[in-house]
Amino acid sequence: MDIATISGQLLGTIPLGDIVPYITPFNLFMFAGALTFTLLIAISRTETQVEAGFGSLKDREVKVGIKEFRIRRFLAIICGLATAGAMITGDLFNFTLFVALIGIVNIGIVSAVKQIDVLDAAFQYGLIAMMASLPLFGGAALVLASTGTLSLFQLSQATFTPVMVTFASVLLILGVAGETGVAPFYATKAEMFRTPGSPFILIIHLSSLLVIVRTIEILLIINKPF
Amino acid sequence: MNLMANILLNVIIAFLVGSLLFGYQRKIMARIQTRPGPPIIQHLLHTLKFYIKESTFPKTAAMPFYVAIASMLCAIWVSAVIVGPVIEGSLLLIFAIYALHKIVEHNAGSSSGSPYGKLSCVRAVFSAAAEVPLFAVLVIIYLKTGTMVIGEIINYQTINGPLIYAIPLAAAMFFVLILSKAPYSPFAITKGKDIISGYETEHFGVLRGYLMISESIAWYMLLWVFLTVFIGGLSPIGYLIGMVAISTVVAFINATTPILNPNHSIMMQVTFAFIGIVGSIILILI
Repeated sequence: MDIATISGQLLGTIPLGDIVPYITPFNLFMFAGALTFTLLIAISRTETQVEAGFGSLKDREVKVGIKEFRIRRFLAIICGLATAGAMITGDLFNFTLFVALIGIVNIGIVSAVKQIDVLDAAFQYGLIAMMASLPLFGGAALVLASTGTLSLFQLSQATFTPVMVTFASVLLILGVAGETGVAPFYATKAEMFRTPGSPFILIIHLSSLLVIVRTIEILLIINKPF
Repeated sequence: MNLMANILLNVIIAFLVGSLLFGYQRKIMARIQTRPGPPIIQHLLHTLKFYIKESTFPKTAAMPFYVAIASMLCAIWVSAVIVGPVIEGSLLLIFAIYALHKIVEHNAGSSSGSPYGKLSCVRAVFSAAAEVPLFAVLVIIYLKTGTMVIGEIINYQTINGPLIYAIPLAAAMFFVLILSKAPYSPFAITKGKDIISGYETEHFGVLRGYLMISESIAWYMLLWVFLTVFIGGLSPIGYLIGMVAISTVVAFINATTPILNPNHSIMMQVTFAFIGIVGSIILILI
């Protein structure tokens, strides 16, 4: 069983038709981690960023306004829930949907900020994320077309990897890389993190890294190198 | 042994050994730079000291996020000890724990409102772009051994010999990752002295204590993972010798190398990752 050799002991499955969510220590840890951070974001205030004032010896305080705070917190919670969903789902298409949702709300979290550099970075990240949605969903569609299922549990029991699944994996990598803004796109994304609102920018980073880890697990499950 | 006692014992060992190895590293670095250096137990004393100091919180901090994030770092690395030495679980889970560590490092800096913490936060995001590709080493280990479970990787090495001979470039990649987590290392851009203490700048008292305990456990765990997955299951003395040897090499590198500019640091790590990934795949194929 590939799942046990990749993610650790299989603790149980939830049979829902052909979609069979499975539970391993890896998935549980990531799911619990995403929910814990989401809860923390929901109850936290934002920090006051202190910067040196230009042309004087005074400090300048940058705060998040109440209207901006509300919309950013709402989007951050949605992003946290989508990340938790991406960690626990047993269906490849649901995973790609969650990843696309993460990409959309990440742009929203930053685009509420009124700073030109930050908005520029969010715009560029948005372009990449939109372009990445094609290979992301295309990859999942190719897996379905070549194997007849999107259930990761069923895919893990397959005995060989069709060539088309390998090609779909490359598309999935491209899609996830664009949606989460990993290197080489991360350089642009890092500029978004200069904005105040620490709890909200946490979820942008959290969702990206956790999705990358989950993608590694999924790629190893759907491809059979041995 | 009772599971809870086993966890407690391993966490205490990880904390004590990690702290002493940090002290040892500073001693070696000082001797190379012809200074007497602090005693080896200095890092341990430093950590304990913060628990009897007054805890203060910046009025600009994002509460309760600022307090919770430092405490979570501790919880995350205790989880790593459970997944590693206690149950010998999945390497992928250790990768997930490391990913959460990067997030906490990033937000410990930004949550205080300090500009030094904020700069450290942005650098943590940059460094994640380089350190995540270095973790591709896990996939190389999987391709070689057919498993991600640490216990099964140990068994594989018992039959086929240490992985460090079969996939040396992957071992080198992991070593670069270890080096980037060492204090004063050329890749330690999140705690560069140009930004005071980086993400720790505005953490005092108990919170600083939590951060220092986590750093010690993290150092122990990275060395433990390296020795276990590239050399195999060792005796406690074997682990200790291995950890001292790696810490000595790291101390020599840190003592003789200046901290790199963030962009150079990232590019160098990405270059190591690229050479390691491509080279290892070629080595596996031939």
